[in-house]
Amino acid sequence: MTGVQKTGQAPEETGRTPGTSSATPAKSVESAKQGARRSYTLIAGCVLAGLIVLLAAVSFVWLPYAPDDTSGTRLAAPGAGHLLGTDKLGRDLFTQLMTGSRIAVEAGLGSVLTAALIGVSLGVLSAFALGWLDDTLAAFLDILIAFPTLLLAMLIVAARSATLGSAVLAIGLAQSAVVARLVRILVKRVLAQDYITAARTSGTSWPRVVAGHVLPNIWPTLVVNLALQFGLAVLAEASLSYLGLGAPPPNASWGRMLQEAQATFTTAPAGALAPGVLLVLLVIGVNLIADGLRDTLDPTARRRRA
Amino acid sequence: MTRYLLRRLAFLVVSLVLASVVLFLLLRMLPGDPANALTSVGASPEQIAAARHSIGSDKPLPEQFTHWIGQLASGDLGTSFVSSLPVGPEVLARLNVTVPLTLAAFVLAVVIAVPAGFAAAYKRHTWYGALLSGISQLGIAVPVFWLGMILIAVFALNAGWLPAGGFPPDGWAQPAEAVRSLILPVVTIALVMSASLIRYVRSATLDVLDSDYLRTARALGSSFSGAMWRHGLRNASVPVISVLGMELASTLLGAVVVESVYALPGLGSFLATGISQHDYPVIQGVLFVSTLAVLVIGFAADLVQRIIDPRLRDRLSGGAR
Amino acid sequence: MSIKKTSVFSVATAAALAVTLTACGGGTGAGSASGAYDKNATVNIGSLYEPQNLDNTAGGGQGVTEALNGNVYEGLFRLTDDGKVEKLLAQDYKVSDDGLTYTFTLRDGVKFHSGKTLTSADVKYSLEKVLGKDSQSARKSNLEVVKDIATPDARTVKVTLSKKSISFVYNLSYVWIINSQAKNLKSTEDGTGPYKLNKWTRGSALSLDRFAGYWGHAAASKQVVFHYYKDATALNNALLTNAVDVVTSEQSPDALAQFKNNQNYKITDGNSTTKLLLAFNDKAKPFTDVRVRQAVSAAIDDKKLLESVWGGYGKLIGSMVPPTDPWYEDLTKVNAYDPAKAKQLLAEAGYKNGFDITLDTPNYDPHPTAATFIKSQLAKVGITVKINTITPDEWYTKVYQNHDFTATLQEHVNDRDLVWYGNPDFYWGYDNKQVQQWVAQSEEASTAAGQTALLKKVNRKTAEDAASDWLYLYPQIVVASSKLSGYPHNGLNSQFFAYDIKKTG
Repeated sequence: MTGVQKTGQAPEETGRTPGTSSATPAKSVESAKQGARRSYTLIAGCVLAGLIVLLAAVSFVWLPYAPDDTSGTRLAAPGAGHLLGTDKLGRDLFTQLMTGSRIAVEAGLGSVLTAALIGVSLGVLSAFALGWLDDTLAAFLDILIAFPTLLLAMLIVAARSATLGSAVLAIGLAQSAVVARLVRILVKRVLAQDYITAARTSGTSWPRVVAGHVLPNIWPTLVVNLALQFGLAVLAEASLSYLGLGAPPPNASWGRMLQEAQATFTTAPAGALAPGVLLVLLVIGVNLIADGLRDTLDPTARRRRA
Repeated sequence: MTRYLLRRLAFLVVSLVLASVVLFLLLRMLPGDPANALTSVGASPEQIAAARHSIGSDKPLPEQFTHWIGQLASGDLGTSFVSSLPVGPEVLARLNVTVPLTLAAFVLAVVIAVPAGFAAAYKRHTWYGALLSGISQLGIAVPVFWLGMILIAVFALNAGWLPAGGFPPDGWAQPAEAVRSLILPVVTIALVMSASLIRYVRSATLDVLDSDYLRTARALGSSFSGAMWRHGLRNASVPVISVLGMELASTLLGAVVVESVYALPGLGSFLATGISQHDYPVIQGVLFVSTLAVLVIGFAADLVQRIIDPRLRDRLSGGAR
Repeated sequence: MSIKKTSVFSVATAAALAVTLTACGGGTGAGSASGAYDKNATVNIGSLYEPQNLDNTAGGGQGVTEALNGNVYEGLFRLTDDGKVEKLLAQDYKVSDDGLTYTFTLRDGVKFHSGKTLTSADVKYSLEKVLGKDSQSARKSNLEVVKDIATPDARTVKVTLSKKSISFVYNLSYVWIINSQAKNLKSTEDGTGPYKLNKWTRGSALSLDRFAGYWGHAAASKQVVFHYYKDATALNNALLTNAVDVVTSEQSPDALAQFKNNQNYKITDGNSTTKLLLAFNDKAKPFTDVRVRQAVSAAIDDKKLLESVWGGYGKLIGSMVPPTDPWYEDLTKVNAYDPAKAKQLLAEAGYKNGFDITLDTPNYDPHPTAATFIKSQLAKVGITVKINTITPDEWYTKVYQNHDFTATLQEHVNDRDLVWYGNPDFYWGYDNKQVQQWVAQSEEASTAAGQTALLKKVNRKTAEDAASDWLYLYPQIVVASSKLSGYPHNGLNSQFFAYDIKKTG
């Protein structure tokens, strides 16, 4: 995860061992209090992430300068003409940050969608599969998870050349293993419940079991996990771009902006700090949303299960 | 248990072989010509053909494959297309950087994360519990290369306390320099890694704190620390160990970015160079060793979990948490 | 892989400079810095170009030339600062009247690092190695005029050519003389230079130790270590933290601000022969039309580009010829920046509303930066550029071998590489019979003046035809600790003579 973080999936739900989640009456008051506080978490997350998404959305209709306008003085300091100064080509840094936010959001969404699509299918398949097939799939997922996203990205880039699409594909594939493993465990857990056995003995078909019982039970946890994966995908895309494996120039990816500004860290620090700060804000925002979602979604899920 | 061990071992070998074969074929399917790394602008068609011949990439695929399998069977990872040097010793040399880097970062991360995660859970209603959670939130969101850039700027360029990158040419024969050059990379990895570990430890601890058995033990007169020690630690450590195994494995493989920021001649940078030059023997060699490491670490984590928690012993695959 | 590695051509500034310094040093001391230097010093050299292997006929790359050429291996000749050839292992040579037979007399008492004495057999072996079937030497095609190599005695080598080649001696300066009995040349060496290989740690460093048995002036410092970095920032950081004493070729001009006005460092701006090209596929529409090529050349403000990429360093060029080549002429006025004229030329060629092109751009600096700039410049005359970022490997297959491109960016490091315009099968597909004839004649010219006159014609013609767009000439910036002296200023990326580098305290 050093390179491209991805294993840090939602600890607070996957970490729970079965049987320890039963809330005692004494705790319910505190839970309610906590719930109220946690909704602040959700709000804070929405504000932070929303800010970046807004920046990205606005970039489609308005930018301070054209993205490839090289008319500025190179490496100008932050000031009136250029809010955050310019890069070495004389392009406006704030403009680049705005188009960069677009890439970050696109990378996050694209990766998570890919991961969800492949991961859920694989996970459900594995959970329903028996014996050796399940074991094999589980081990395959373990290997895939341990493999760096970066490596996958390098191979995909070698095959398809460096584009945002390649990066998203690589990140999505890598994350789909994480999602698949989570889904596998969740589904298995649901399938072990008595009411599934009851439903099956009363003649409900498997597809109906999945649609009626399995998916409703796993989606809160899944959504929370996907939200966390979004943040990790944004980080991963930045790392790939930093290594020159992401969106190619002239697209301004935050990771590449940081890489380019690294040479002038001491002389023109704005370029080496601003993209990093936005990146951190976006990821914290999304993670807070995930935390908030868990606390609003999970108690209901638990209650239903109980 | 023996049956489990045997099955697990057989599984390890089969996965390794399968992964290697798939990789061999996958690499050959990629566009790109490994001979390009040897030729240069101005090279004549004859020179390009000679380059392909010298590395054997002009031979039919089945022939290349049997050659490679034969080598592997005799414990030889092959010869680099580009340097014509054997890959095996080179991988070992790179491990001299990557393994100490990873292990030191891992240990440091655990040393930071376990007490911090416990404190964040146990004192979650106090300001410093909240602060710890907040810091870990921040840590998870920071890209590792950016942290590296900042640490270099502060501790190497401004303060001049530590080297900004590189590894001594004589490696561990210059122990002081080697250690100094690994301090910042280790800290960089450890900080980012501990941020997410804190969250795992915190949630595992929370589970234990909320658990009935701890309450029961307390009600029966155990001191808190006694109950925690006897029951809590064991239960909390099971999910954490699984995560630790994963973290260790992926750090070992994923150190490319940190190695790039700190210009370290580790396994990750070796792989990166190999990929950019389409040096198949290098890619295959590195990935073979890494896959082995991943499988062995996963195995070890599983085993430790089973020893700690007897309930898991009837389960075959370890992944489930 | 870096395309740049082919820089077999290198200005041998260092040689001349070195000779001067040594001469002075032998007397009363040349300046304060070199007066009291440490003979037992280790000089740490920082570089971006690690050798791929140690054999320059087996794809060792640019790094092997940088580290080993002149330091570990020597040729019969070497290039001096002004591009002239100087005798090195050849003590003397004679050319027959028909210009087809060269007789070389070898220097006496030259020893290889293994202890063996240099003989004519080693020279024959070395030449044949370059010409061999498996040779990846970039000199191979130029030296293929060699018909026969005879060794009448241990100190005489007689080479017969199949046709006249005015550049033969010049080309010989790229042929390393290697012990004919040496083995494992990809990972070890056996040359005659002032330094011998101590240890090569792949991915990290290559160290050279002073060779006690050197035939000439002993190397100034006891040891030099080349430290290899993958990116310019890491390299600069190493210099800032004294991990290295000198950076062979600064590739991150923005970082220079850290060294400027700092008395601990010296910046030198030398001559380079590396040109950044916007190469058109002259055989593909729309660049088959000379007016389109001229229009594109005129639409790009090279000066602004150079300023953007190099911030005041580097030079503008109007053709493939750098100022250090004998046939240099200032042609920057030809197809100079003039957007109005560009638009007019495009209209004449039938592209009043411009056109769309894909620009194949290698993914390493400065190409992406230049591509971004070109995109914005060409947009102003109605040309829409799609930047297609590719790896060096892809570039090599797609552009260089398959000619599957419309326009591309590439740096060409060699000096005297104007002659490629005489090869219609070269990747850019410039096909002009007159130019081909001039190039062929120039190689068979009897005098250097004759060669120069013909190549000047080629130079002007290709410039007027806008065969490619030569964007700028790279600077050759060396940044060194002020404790250092005697290092090469102009030594191109690929050559870095280290034997006279002196370090104080």
